[in-house]
Amino acid sequence: MLFLKMAFRNIFRQKRRTFFTALTMIGGFALACISIGWADGSYNNIIGMFTRGWLGHIQIHYKDYLDKPSIYKTIDNYNEIGKKIMEIKGVKSWTARVYSAGLASFKDKTSGVSIIGIDPEKEDKTTDFHKKIINGDYFKAGVKNQVLIGKGLAKIIKAKAGDKIILVSQAADGSMANDIFTVSGIVSTDDDLFDRTSFYMKLDDAREFLVLGNKVHEIAVTVDKLKEVKKIDKKISLVLKNTDLSVASWQEFAKDFYKAMKADKGGMWISLFVIILVVAVGVLNTILMSVLERIREYGVLKALGTRPGDIILLVLYEANIIAVFSIFIGAIIGFAVNYYLSLHGIHLSQSFTYGGMKFSEIMTEINLRSFIIPGITVLLTTVIVGFFPALKAAKTDPAKSLRFH
Amino acid sequence: MSDKKIIIKTENLKKDYKEDGVVVHAVRGIDFMIEKGEFSAIVGPSGCGKTTLLNLISGLDTPDEGKVWLDGKLISDMSGKELSDFRRDNIGFIFQAYNLIPVLTVEENIEYIMLLQGIGKKERHNRVIEILEEVGLSGLENRRPTQLSGGQQQRVTIARAMVSKPKIILADEPTANLDSKTGTELLDMMAELNEKTGMTFLFSTHDKMVMERARRVVVLKDGMIVDKKEIDIV
Repeated sequence: MLFLKMAFRNIFRQKRRTFFTALTMIGGFALACISIGWADGSYNNIIGMFTRGWLGHIQIHYKDYLDKPSIYKTIDNYNEIGKKIMEIKGVKSWTARVYSAGLASFKDKTSGVSIIGIDPEKEDKTTDFHKKIINGDYFKAGVKNQVLIGKGLAKIIKAKAGDKIILVSQAADGSMANDIFTVSGIVSTDDDLFDRTSFYMKLDDAREFLVLGNKVHEIAVTVDKLKEVKKIDKKISLVLKNTDLSVASWQEFAKDFYKAMKADKGGMWISLFVIILVVAVGVLNTILMSVLERIREYGVLKALGTRPGDIILLVLYEANIIAVFSIFIGAIIGFAVNYYLSLHGIHLSQSFTYGGMKFSEIMTEINLRSFIIPGITVLLTTVIVGFFPALKAAKTDPAKSLRFH
Repeated sequence: MSDKKIIIKTENLKKDYKEDGVVVHAVRGIDFMIEKGEFSAIVGPSGCGKTTLLNLISGLDTPDEGKVWLDGKLISDMSGKELSDFRRDNIGFIFQAYNLIPVLTVEENIEYIMLLQGIGKKERHNRVIEILEEVGLSGLENRRPTQLSGGQQQRVTIARAMVSKPKIILADEPTANLDSKTGTELLDMMAELNEKTGMTFLFSTHDKMVMERARRVVVLKDGMIVDKKEIDIV
């Protein structure tokens, strides 16, 4: 208690130095807090947009469908599976899809297309699909043979809402599938490549067109909390354990995207390290200066019978009192900035593309780790960096220090 | 001098220093003894090795050769931690430059050693009040050292040295920074406290006033003990 009292009073002896040390620590903490909040916010935002935009957080397919897609690798009784999945706590929604390829013709223009059969209601709940329509309308209930086409495809075949398109494909029974579809709307997903071939049909129309019966190729699932994906993935796997179906989380079916995210997060640690370095140099400078200034005082303390360990404690207390105060102020600043940016975001003058998605603003996030990581970092840095000057103080030779200082 | 009463004993004590590459023989084979309760002084001109000898006796410095016994214990063989604890419990220091802790109040400075000894708050406070009265500083317990005169600061140092009831008080030039009136007052006070408490006082000094009050005077010249009559300063 006495050493704590002495340490507390010591920090006011050189007010200006204490102020600048605290400023370094506050700056370091706040920067780290904002940078983690920013990184987490933008990554979660990107992951959210990427997964909720189309892929979903978890996907179910016939066991090797993702490696070798085929019209014959299907999921039977998808409605029953969907109902079971919805019983799992934390699942937000699910939707079923069918995929195939075909040729779409409008007037004299023909283009290869990716046929995607979607359940209008469930798809909208899962991916907010209606928001992607930039022209025309979403599917209307009870109307057959409506299609939505990607804006790139619309440009290639020069089709617009209301136009009639001929679609040719091969059905699952080996027959030639062909029919006429009316363009209900034009879709933009921000993934230009995808939009150049996407040809959305109602799930029922697609199954009928491709003669798939009650089968689909994919079930996409979204969850309430991103961090629960793996847990829910395991639960779904348990539900489907005696089937030929495989369950994959977004980290598995979007491996490249996930790897890119992880690499980017590595960059965050590098910037955190730079911040630590700045704090460390500031702290070392301050503590070393104050120790050297007070070497005679440490000599007196030792002469009076103070143990070296107590002197180390005294020096470390001093540095850590400043650190705790700085963390408190830094946390307030970090919280305020992260809170503001989590609401308003940072609008980018030029949007960027990540994983095929366009992003025009970056949002931050307020989470516990953006306070805990910088907090522990500042405290640990202070203790580690402060230990060497503290050791120097503890090793003071009382006879020498009293003679020469 | 009977062995029972001896509290400080040195045997062939030697200490060399290197200053700017030149070896200085600060203490050159000193043997002497001080009896318990004595008011003694090591005297001699500046640079004769008084402070070095005092540092060796207190264990603040280690001898190159020779041995030091305090209260029958060989301190020159003690480890750093043992020596810290021994100093804390057995030696009180009075420094020429006072060396009070500037961030502590008078009371906190005085009770510092008692705190290290683990003495309870009430006991500490009572002892501080008592010793402040003895050194004539009652009512100043909440002041900081910078708010005191030199003489008052030295009184606090004396109080700090004595409050934990050590066996030996080592005073290095305690009157050097004081005017002669204040110096005399403090020396009279220390002589009185020596009579009253029976603590052993050993001064390093070239102050005539100290020598006048000392019962034993060890005279040093060039790091060795010499006959006191032969030293001019005496």
